[in-house]
Amino acid sequence: MRPMTTVDANPLRQGLEQERVPDPSCLVIFGASGDLTQRKLIPGLYMLAHDGLLPQGQTIVGIARQDMTDEQFRASMRAACDEHARTRPVDDAIWESFARGLFYVSGEFTDPAAYTRLKARLEEFDRTRGTAGRRIYYLAVPPQFFEKIAELLGKENMVCDPEKGGPYTRVIIEKPFGHDLASARELNQVAVSTFRERQVFRIDHYLGKETVQNLLVLRFANGIFEPFWNRQYIDHVQFTVAESIGVEKRGNYFETAGIARDIIQNHMLQLVSLVAMEPPVAFEANAVRDEKVKVLRALRPIEEAVRGQYAEGSVMGERAAAYREEANVDPNSRVETYAAIKVFLDNWRWAGVPFYVRAGKRLPKRVTDISIHFRPAPHPLFSRLGLRMQPNVLAIRIQPDEGISLRFDSKLPGPTVRTAPVTMEFRYATSFGAEPPEAYERLLLETMLGDATLFARRDEIETAWSWLDPLLHRWANDPAPPPFYEAGTWGPEEANVLIEKDGRKWRRP
Amino acid sequence: MIDADVRVHAGSIEKQLAELWRNEKQAHDDAVTRAALWNVVAHTWNSKQHAHATEVLASASASVPQRTIVVRADPNAPHDMQAWISANCHLLGDSRQVCSEEVSIVAGGERVDHVAPLVNALLLPDMPVAVWWLGDLPNDHAYVESLLEPADRLIVDSSQFDSAADFALVARIAEQTTTAPADVNWARVEEWRAASAAVFDPPAMRARLQSIAHVRVTTAGGTLGATSEAVLYVSWLMAQLGYEIPFELATQSEEEGISAVDIRFRDNTTALIRGDRGRGVVKCSAAHAETELDCITRKRGRGLSDLIVRLLKQPESDRVYLEALRIARDVAARVAASHAA
Repeated sequence: MRPMTTVDANPLRQGLEQERVPDPSCLVIFGASGDLTQRKLIPGLYMLAHDGLLPQGQTIVGIARQDMTDEQFRASMRAACDEHARTRPVDDAIWESFARGLFYVSGEFTDPAAYTRLKARLEEFDRTRGTAGRRIYYLAVPPQFFEKIAELLGKENMVCDPEKGGPYTRVIIEKPFGHDLASARELNQVAVSTFRERQVFRIDHYLGKETVQNLLVLRFANGIFEPFWNRQYIDHVQFTVAESIGVEKRGNYFETAGIARDIIQNHMLQLVSLVAMEPPVAFEANAVRDEKVKVLRALRPIEEAVRGQYAEGSVMGERAAAYREEANVDPNSRVETYAAIKVFLDNWRWAGVPFYVRAGKRLPKRVTDISIHFRPAPHPLFSRLGLRMQPNVLAIRIQPDEGISLRFDSKLPGPTVRTAPVTMEFRYATSFGAEPPEAYERLLLETMLGDATLFARRDEIETAWSWLDPLLHRWANDPAPPPFYEAGTWGPEEANVLIEKDGRKWRRP
Repeated sequence: MIDADVRVHAGSIEKQLAELWRNEKQAHDDAVTRAALWNVVAHTWNSKQHAHATEVLASASASVPQRTIVVRADPNAPHDMQAWISANCHLLGDSRQVCSEEVSIVAGGERVDHVAPLVNALLLPDMPVAVWWLGDLPNDHAYVESLLEPADRLIVDSSQFDSAADFALVARIAEQTTTAPADVNWARVEEWRAASAAVFDPPAMRARLQSIAHVRVTTAGGTLGATSEAVLYVSWLMAQLGYEIPFELATQSEEEGISAVDIRFRDNTTALIRGDRGRGVVKCSAAHAETELDCITRKRGRGLSDLIVRLLKQPESDRVYLEALRIARDVAARVAASHAA
């Protein structure tokens, strides 16, 4: 059940664009001086205020080591919004109102005194700003701090147990959710030692993207797709998450992660789950997540996978350095920057249908794309005329230039029967004009509303790791370096072999 | 760029449109996308309205791609019918353009009777139809209803209404036909609805929704049309809260539409909502217990094109508006009577 929201009680909200406005709460951001806060969180929250989606009295408290006054924090966040807000320039009147709800507490995350100070301020806001004990803790900090923060929040009695009633407490955790199954379990254990599972909101920002959410609408709001969405009509499915950039300043992190942990374990498996899941009984958190977990449980252990690492090349007309030349990267690194995996789901709907997934850095362009390749027509009527028919492809572009296209064959005009593939296209920008909200805006709002549909659940995370772990161990124990691919190409030749030996080829997204 | 304003014979409009796109395809290959989410039929009475509708819908088609049909029907004009076609193209931010089609039809004398069937033939299949009625509604209701036969949506602007009967006609269309009315003025009121809703968002204030003793709306005045935003606002409040609320419309002449709302509760405390046109926001304030409440809502564009886009972006009929309209019929009659007095 969706928790009770303002719309249930405030009849004046009915029919407004801002139909769902949460009750005011204190949103505490641990790591308030960090990059995520400045680039995504505060600009996202400002945009919610701009669009009338934040309640009056909503209070945002930043906490970080650096000494700062409330005013200095506001000035710093204003600069962040000036640079990163989705609509600019920042509206002064909206900002003034929004900034009145911005506060700062300085302190070490490991220092109990900081929590005492924080608690006192939050209680003051409960009285003066109407937040009434409602708390959201956003842990925009590295995972090694989670345990201590959770422990100290618990010790200071800053967490309400939902089983005992009272105002809500929620916690938002950012990926990475561990680096393997064991660490993910440990992290989840830390979370549930202080919070109950339903209080934990694990952000995978892919789920906040409009086009990812549209996957559910496409599949389950349209009668025409679902009858064909199975092994009987679908030959195979391809998933591509391509980035044109390299590791940039994240060399340290990437050396411990690699593309499989960075993209495939989370974003890619979310996409696979949404494409392959059975219809949920309702569009609500546990019903949707139950179906996604069933998909993950049906994943067959990985038999065929390819990794690669980018070598020097050229991307978008510029020289691109090799991965091993990047800052904070071991010159002999064996970390993969590209991975392609042939995935099978052992269930009734998808038995025998390969899902080819690939993700990589320094590929020719930034694109996330899913393509459903249908089986050819059962009777080759036109082959007798020497025509080579192309299978139908339904392509779903997640980013950029979001949209959906369907390829089918059509007769070329003229007295003879000749055919050519044509594409029927839907593009968000063309049809709807307006720019979609940033993923973080949606996810922050959903947390305030208490709707966890777009967040990963503990069993999703752990099931995904248990599937990927053996491959990661295999690669870690392989003394050979990954095959190299030239930056600006679509990955190593081995990735082409992976799919071409099945008589198929990667779609150029 | 696609040819603009190509004069065509009324009987070959569709054929000429196809020719227009074929030529464009040859010239620019994939750079142009033709798109439509709505058929929008604008009904105008004179050349000034016709030019206005053309301009507004050309702008609106950037946000809501549409086949636009602008009709000028004047029974007193010479017996004639003329048609033009053109395309409204908007850059998508790169070299690609998205284009909507526009058909203009001018009919005079008895040829006015041929307009409705011609418009019917030009509607894109499977796309909803909105009829935008410019100006005051005519006394000849049968004529309005003949044009509405294929319409899913009737767009009116109650700021142009000159009698309470116009509200009654729109309410009757809502009740007796499958055409859902929509009012440009309703979109203008949205920022006041949002600000009023914000007053009652805090749980402590929600309990006071049932204890409103009086509402005072400061509004432009002089005619029913000028006060129609206020009429819709108080009607909405009563419809949503389910009880009769004593109200007063205080007129001012500086600004169009609503400029302030004062809500008085039974305990004589108040919630104040004020427009700040200079800063483009509506602010509200109320006091309850220890908590001083203040909220701010961004004012939306009041340009006709923006307002029409907002109405067209609602795929379904607006049930909240229809409920308010039911009450607006009576509120408008009371306001009109007070004007007469």
